[in-house]
Amino acid sequence: MNPTRRHLLGSALTLGAMQLFPGMSHAQARKLVFATFTGSWEEAHRDVLVPAFKKATGQDMLLDAMLSVDQIAKVSAARSNPPIDVMLHDPGPALTAISQDLVEPFPVAGSKNFKDLIPEAQDPMGPSMFFQVVGLTYNPDKIKTPPTSWADLFKPEYKGRVGITNLNSTLGTGFLVELARMNGGSEANVEPGFKAIERLKPSLAAVAANPGALAALYQQGQIDISPGNFNAIQILKARGVPVEFVAPKEGAIAFKTSIHIVKNTPNKELAAALIDVALSPEVQTRLMQSPYLVVPTNGKVKMEGEIAKVLAKDTAELKKKFVFQDWKKINEQRPEWIARFNREIKV
Amino acid sequence: MKNAVSVSGYSVAFAAPLAVYFLLFFVAPLAVLVFISFYADPQLGRMGLDQYRTIATDGFSLPVLADTLWLGVQVTLLCLLLGYALSWSYVRSPPPLQKVLMLIIVMPLLTSVVVRTFAWVVILGRQGIVNSALLDLGWIDGPLKLLYTRGGLVVALANVQLPLMALPLITALQKLDPNLEDASAALGASAFRTFFRITLPLTLPGIVAGCLLTFAASITAFISQSLIGGGQMLFMPMYIYQQASTLQNWPFAAAISLVFLVAVLACVALFNQLGRMSRGHAAG
Repeated sequence: MNPTRRHLLGSALTLGAMQLFPGMSHAQARKLVFATFTGSWEEAHRDVLVPAFKKATGQDMLLDAMLSVDQIAKVSAARSNPPIDVMLHDPGPALTAISQDLVEPFPVAGSKNFKDLIPEAQDPMGPSMFFQVVGLTYNPDKIKTPPTSWADLFKPEYKGRVGITNLNSTLGTGFLVELARMNGGSEANVEPGFKAIERLKPSLAAVAANPGALAALYQQGQIDISPGNFNAIQILKARGVPVEFVAPKEGAIAFKTSIHIVKNTPNKELAAALIDVALSPEVQTRLMQSPYLVVPTNGKVKMEGEIAKVLAKDTAELKKKFVFQDWKKINEQRPEWIARFNREIKV
Repeated sequence: MKNAVSVSGYSVAFAAPLAVYFLLFFVAPLAVLVFISFYADPQLGRMGLDQYRTIATDGFSLPVLADTLWLGVQVTLLCLLLGYALSWSYVRSPPPLQKVLMLIIVMPLLTSVVVRTFAWVVILGRQGIVNSALLDLGWIDGPLKLLYTRGGLVVALANVQLPLMALPLITALQKLDPNLEDASAALGASAFRTFFRITLPLTLPGIVAGCLLTFAASITAFISQSLIGGGQMLFMPMYIYQQASTLQNWPFAAAISLVFLVAVLACVALFNQLGRMSRGHAAG
């Protein structure tokens, strides 16, 4: 048969489509996809988790780094054929994902490591893989006496030097709740938190649109003190930016970062296997060490290095020094808080 | 004979792939967006006009919209001012210099928007170039707050969008017959009068095209708006993102997206109309 123009065009279009949508040709048997977070998390998981998974199962896997909320958007847009097998979530989005029925329970019975997790991390709908910790960060070149309390942000000498983020982020929302708690409020009543932010206004040098932007603000000397994520600060420190992290005496805010099997995943067994690897003391120990400094959730991991120095020496101390927030309550009212913050903080 | 018919028929056929592409990837998603905006609650349970009612009555969404459009106007005016002067000197430069100028004009388009935006963070910061220069000159006593201010944002956006203004203007100015300006001058018109009676009306199509591009690009510049404007300024792109992603409130996000879209289309139509009217005025 002579190839006609039509045939040629047809083949060309097919080839083009396969280039555009590579998933089309091998939708059946695809590699396990884990949606981790961007930045240092992805780096850490590429270096440690992916090889450990390969060792445990003999399988390759893919990392597709994106924000928690974007994972939810992607999965809920394709519920019956999700492009992701395993999700990673901050506490707020985790509850959203569960309530939207996007999550398959983790088969606890088949898990070797689930029972070793500290109780706060044990949730069959999504065990916590690590904790994110929010404390005070400051520029030691400008601020000679390290701050010790959230209340230090209000000190008159830091007027015009303080940075915060808006409520789009877990960090910003958690900080508002902590301000409320300090002033007699709670997750159910953040009124005192908003009052505190009103008092903080004259001190504010910047309200960043996201926590990542805080980093640039330290580098530019735009701010000298702010609430900040322990791990984000380590990256800045490693790049030579003068920043330090302290856990305030009220306790550092801890966010459980949970790992979930996506509902309707074609790779359910592998997804469960990945989660068990992620909870194992071997992987968590390696992730805790430099340069990753990821706070472990497995009670068998012995704290060392920077984490033992700055945060907690063991799980007992960790539980004492970390403040966990009730994100179920927070989620209920978060839309109103964001609307209010939008109005009150606008210039 | 068959072949002779359809010069125009062919050209329509050539547009078909693009038409299919648009139907699939633009019209269809837009229809979905419209559909979602008519849900009354974030759980997509009930249909209703609730989202549009909220926008009209919450006293917050419409001011954000107006402020976003106003930002676009500010950036566009600054771009027009800078861009016209730039294009003017470009067309009057000798060809070797034109090459260099063109490279400089196009450069911002060739760098990633994130890089450009971070450059402006460095320029406008407390220890940035502007502040250190002013401090060294002794013109100010302490660093000014430039980053996270409206002025800083307008200047940065104008820089990022300047090529979109300059390129259509250069084309328009190049097409302008220099004899017309000479004739005007020879007949005794001042340079000022020549510019406003001859040059400006004849380059109006370029101005309209440049302004539309700049306006559309600056009101939707999500990254620049959030990194240079900061969290205390809220414009439509960030507002939509906040509702859609952080709050997973798709109906409201869809509704404000559509209101934004319609408002921008109205602005574009208005501007085209202005262009047409002033063209008629210039001819008369």
